[in-house]
Order: sequence, then structure tokens, then C-alpha cells
Amino acid sequence: MLETFKQIQTRLDATPHLIRLGRLFSETVLIEIGGDEYYLTFEKGRILSVAEGPSRKTPWRFALRTDAEALGKFWQARPEPGFHDIFGLVKIGRGRIDGDILSLVKNLRFIKEVLGLARAEQELAA
Amino acid sequence: MSIEPITGRYVTVDIAGAPRRIYFEEAGQGRPVLCLHTAGADTRQWRHLMNDAKITASNRLIAFDMPWHGKSLPPEGFETQEYLLTTEAYIETVLAVIDGLGLDRPVLAGCSMGGRIALQLAALHPDKFSGFIAIEASDFQPAWYDIDWFHRPDAHGGEMGAALVSANISPYAPNSERWNTLWMFMQSGPGVFRGDLSFYTKDDSLIARLGAIDTTRTPVHIIVGAYDLTCTPEDAARTAQAIPGATLAVMDELGHFPMSEHPEGFRPFFADALEKMPVSEAKAA
Repeated sequence: MLETFKQIQTRLDATPHLIRLGRLFSETVLIEIGGDEYYLTFEKGRILSVAEGPSRKTPWRFALRTDAEALGKFWQARPEPGFHDIFGLVKIGRGRIDGDILSLVKNLRFIKEVLGLARAEQELAA
Repeated sequence: MSIEPITGRYVTVDIAGAPRRIYFEEAGQGRPVLCLHTAGADTRQWRHLMNDAKITASNRLIAFDMPWHGKSLPPEGFETQEYLLTTEAYIETVLAVIDGLGLDRPVLAGCSMGGRIALQLAALHPDKFSGFIAIEASDFQPAWYDIDWFHRPDAHGGEMGAALVSANISPYAPNSERWNTLWMFMQSGPGVFRGDLSFYTKDDSLIARLGAIDTTRTPVHIIVGAYDLTCTPEDAARTAQAIPGATLAVMDELGHFPMSEHPEGFRPFFADALEKMPVSEAKAA
């Protein structure tokens, strides 16, 4: 999973429109997958670092908690209903969003498209 | 070069005792079909069907921008008002437009909040219509988000609204139409999406009225997309079951804005819905 987030980091560096969208976003986001923690630290729209947890010392702005199977479906080119969006995961009970949700919503398009960089269709396009 | 068959004009009608300048578009001839847009959007959601010669050969499609939306201005004095749509104001607006345009018992086709009000009108004013196509429509769902997110001075409500509703668009939607659909939300005036959602997520008065809808006089056909997180197929099925005689179609590859996000995918479902609606009675010239 760490490799997937590193791949997202690399693809984001090569996606200028997303860096522009996220230019005011400098926060750490926690992605928790089946209890495993991954801390994505953003700086002005780029991912500075991806760090594996567990960590009690890393502050984060908001968190998406889900499971590996759900995230695997989310990353399919055409996910099934509910798995096609992070709010869909929440709605079908396969995800939870915690923390400063307003910060997420203010940067919602950016965050959703960054997470979507691991989608199968992105691999085809790469 | 191509010029589309859609024409746009304005009609001024009285709503709540004051004039409103309403923008409407139409295309086609024959049976009138009045089309209602979703929350936070406008008539452009219907443009693909209005440009569909097979649909408009025997149907006169008319769509209008609700006050505060698209090219319809907000009421005079709006600058000190908080826009909060209500069932009563929405009903009054639809009926005023029907009267203003002189429509004789149109079919009413509404999506999302337009579908919700279509079902309210089926219960409360069936005599004004010949049938109802309720798209992404259900009795009631509380918000799964905070509607106040979409109207605040420190962020762009339209961009946030578009990012949220993208959750309701199917991954089968062509990318260009996905973004055309989202653009309308991005353009929505400050507080308008929030004011629409206030109606949509807080007024549950339809639940008690569903059983009173007489589908033998005015058929009700509900259409829902599997990728709709706001009005799920389960929500639509529950609603259809509560309306004696209502029919339901589930679209496996579509979401909450089917006529806009995926016109090709939606077309057969809309054509089928029109087939279920009565043909206008011939009127003496």
C-alpha cells in the first residue's frame, strides 16, 4: 500500500492542474486502511512525504478510514456503486471521515482527484 | 456550424405577490412536457433531450430556470434575504409557470428536488398535469452532509458543491458531460444550492401524501440511477411501493443527473417513461 501512495505522490508531481488546485493546501492527511496508518503530508499541493504508521505523534487535519478491499474497489476504473467516491464509502458503511471535515470539503475536488490518481484508468493513461 | 432547435425566452409571473422574471427554453411540438432541473443547477441539464429530434417529434419539451437559478433573477430585495426554498413556494412557482405559459395539463418531468416536487404535485394538484416522470426522486432523505458547507464567506460554495455532487455521477458518464454537469453547480449563485437543499433535506411532508396519489388518473413513473448516493435505488423503490400503481426503473450505469451526465444512457429510459404517459387529448383549434 505504501507503494501505491508513493505512486500517487509521483503522479501528482506530473499533474500541474492538481498542484494548482491544491496550492493553498498544506496539511497532513491520515489514510487508515484496515488499521494500518499512512500519513500523507501535503505542501502547497504536492505530497512532501508518505509515512507509514503507527504514530501517536503525527498531527493530521482529517482522516479517511477504510479497508483494503474497499479501497481496491475504489481504485478500479469503474467501481461498483458506493465504491466510486470517498463519500460513497462512508454512505455504504465501508469508510469513515474524521477530523476537520470542513478542511476536506474546502479542498474536496483536489483530495478526491489526488486519491483517484491510483485508479486503473490512470495506469492505462500513464 | 450548427444552430440548435432550442429557443429561450422570458416570462414574468407573480409569485408570492411579486413579479418574477423567469427564463424558459423549449423545443419540439405536440404533448407538452415540463422539465424541472435539480438543486443548484438550471435548464441546461435538459439540453440533450431538447436537442433529440426523436423525442421532440411528438413532445414539446419546456424547461425553466427557477428564480435564483440560471438566467432567472432572484426577487427584488434578494440582497437582504436568505434563500430557503419551501415546498409551498416551489409548488406556487411551477403552477405560475404553467399558467403563464398557458400549458394544458403537461407531463411533469423533474429530477432530484424537481422529482420530489413532481410527487408533491401528483398528490396535491393532479388536475394540472397528465402524468409524472419523477427522476432520482423519493419521499425523503435527510442530508448526509452539512448544507451550511455550501454558503460561507471563506470558501467558494459552487466549487465545494460541485466536488460534493460529483459523488453522485456515474463512472460510466462521459468525462465531458460529467464536467458540463458540474459546471452548473460551480456557477450557482451564493447560497442557492444550500437554499435548495434546505427544502430537499428538511421537508418530509411528502411521506404522508404518497398514498393519496391516484395513478389511474395521472401515472407516476420513477427512474433512479444505481450510482445515486443521494436518492438511492432503495429510496426510490420504497417511494414507488408507497404510491399505488407507480412504476419504477433502475438505471445500472447512471447517477443522480442522468439527463445531463450521460445523455445516451438516459435516453431510452426517458423515452420509455414518455411511452407510459398519456397522449394529449386532441383540442379544437
